[in-house]
Amino acid sequence: MTAHTADGFLSLENLTVEYPLQSGRKVHAVTDFTARVRRGETLGLVGESGCGKSSAARAVMQLPRPTGGKVTLDGQDLTGLRGKALQQARRRFQMIFQDPIASLNPRMTIRDIVAAPLEIAGIGTKADRHVRVAEMLEMVGINADQAMERRPHEFSGGQCQRISIARALILQPDLLVCDEAVSALDVSVQAQVLNLLERLKTELGLTMLFISHDLAVVKHVSDRVAVMYLGRLCEVADAETIYRNPVHPYTRTLLSAVPEPDPDAPPRQVAVIPGELPSPVNPPSGCPFRTRCPRASEICAQQMPDLAPIAPGQMVACHHPHIDTP
Amino acid sequence: MGDIILDVRNQKTAFVTARGMAQAVDGVSFTLERGRTLGVVGESGSGKSVLSRSIMRLLPSNALVPADSRVILNGRDLTRMTETELRRLRGPEVAIIFQDPMTSLNPVLTIGRQITEVLTFHMGLKRRAARDRAIELLRAVGLPQPDVRVDQYPHQLSGGMRQRVAIAIAIACEPDLLIADEPTTALDVTVQAEILDLLQRMVRDRNMAMILITHDMGVVAGRCDDVAVMYAGRIVEKAPVRDLFHHTRMPYTAALLASIPKITDPPHRKLDAIEGRPPDIINPPPGCPFAPRCLRADAGCDAEKPVLAGTSRHQWACLNPLGEEAPA
Repeated sequence: MTAHTADGFLSLENLTVEYPLQSGRKVHAVTDFTARVRRGETLGLVGESGCGKSSAARAVMQLPRPTGGKVTLDGQDLTGLRGKALQQARRRFQMIFQDPIASLNPRMTIRDIVAAPLEIAGIGTKADRHVRVAEMLEMVGINADQAMERRPHEFSGGQCQRISIARALILQPDLLVCDEAVSALDVSVQAQVLNLLERLKTELGLTMLFISHDLAVVKHVSDRVAVMYLGRLCEVADAETIYRNPVHPYTRTLLSAVPEPDPDAPPRQVAVIPGELPSPVNPPSGCPFRTRCPRASEICAQQMPDLAPIAPGQMVACHHPHIDTP
Repeated sequence: MGDIILDVRNQKTAFVTARGMAQAVDGVSFTLERGRTLGVVGESGSGKSVLSRSIMRLLPSNALVPADSRVILNGRDLTRMTETELRRLRGPEVAIIFQDPMTSLNPVLTIGRQITEVLTFHMGLKRRAARDRAIELLRAVGLPQPDVRVDQYPHQLSGGMRQRVAIAIAIACEPDLLIADEPTTALDVTVQAEILDLLQRMVRDRNMAMILITHDMGVVAGRCDDVAVMYAGRIVEKAPVRDLFHHTRMPYTAALLASIPKITDPPHRKLDAIEGRPPDIINPPPGCPFAPRCLRADAGCDAEKPVLAGTSRHQWACLNPLGEEAPA
């Protein structure tokens, strides 16, 4: 037991992910990212493409290991682990990916795909594993008798994602990282998979890191939501709060741009200075959002704002947060 | 009735596959008036993209279209035209924007060249004049520094900028009809809002008609006048946008609307998923294609394929539509 377990089952401390370029420069994918997730909690991570949310997720998985900072799961520092110890620890954190078909080996049967984690971990006899695979498949809503000997191409995208979930959960991990796990699915199927994830989370007491660009999807599964922009954390708050009262100008921009499926919703002005996301190779000085932020002032160019509490359960990194308009 | 630009009658498009005949579009009829935007919404495999390519007559050689399918644009039947005639008409009368601007633009030509090509071919502009017009068009679609960008290649632009270029090419010859096939699906939400604003403005300012194909009910709600919902190659409901959302008749439309996670919902609300999945279009069920997943289906639905019924304003293809319960 360390001090961190009190406030974070999963804790990310000053996480930094950089990718070297041939030119000798670096892509600053994630910079100084700090967050804590309680046991049994789902933290949603949202942002637009290139904001670093997938890099942050992969850094948690140690795939690859972050350039700097620390990832702690239940008191164990994952960034310090190597070889066998890391493999051993991996049983406790598993991941599902965006493309459900590409993430399953087309040459393997569903039985072998779902049994692979058990085999790698050396758990049980072949017969034991068969029983366990059947249980997992039924749990995710796949008819085990019919599915076991088939291969991924015989299944739809939604079914493949269920199979990926079965594989991820067969080692009974504590932490499940979902990287755009429902983004490739049609809405009717997406709803099935989201309901499944919610049910499994409750039944198995999972802690989840749920990454998505879709703010409505994130709201449905998350207890708390973190918003990223250009590798930095802008705002983190309870799901209810961040949608009802976003205080970071970027969070507001993002929320105002979501098209609502309601013809009577008043047309909203997207409050952003039109323009492009700056390059993560050469991010702006100070706050990364200042080049498109309608509230930016001189200090924003000089100093990166610290992430600071602004209300109960809400933290923001902004020199000019929207505190005046509730 | 306004000025009808497009009249699609009983469009059927099938593909010969190794497993058999896939009926991707199965008898679609509708008209579209000048100045209006029709949203075509459906899940993957519902036939919405094949429909757009059928209208454009941009179908692969293994596509089968029966002789009684008609696409009438400005009073002329596209199904009776030769490829040369069609080429002259694509651009000045109808243009299309695709989902992925990286693959729809030619990677080895400058964007200026790709716009001037259209202008010299269709409008007979000389090189200098075409270049000036290209810069003007790029400015009109909100591309920053159009005089610099005109000499750049697609890979030097972001996804949002590429889609602006694709729009510039599409509107270069001032078409009467613009087909936008998932134009913002590959883009981030803030960029999506900008591109949809741009399309809406172009349609209004130039008095065009637009078919906006999307899987996103949010985009439909905010950007279209009328909506056609597609399922298994057929239009299953068509109405003005407000009627479709507030007086939904087809159970599939209702189920689709209910399954969408809404940003106004409280966290962790259980979603009303539609069980099962869309039918295999190679072996469709004999009756209503939605019947196997429909909570209102009865024996009649499995036996008979319902046709679009209702009024000219609001149509649905259902034997047990919503909103017709016997008064208690």
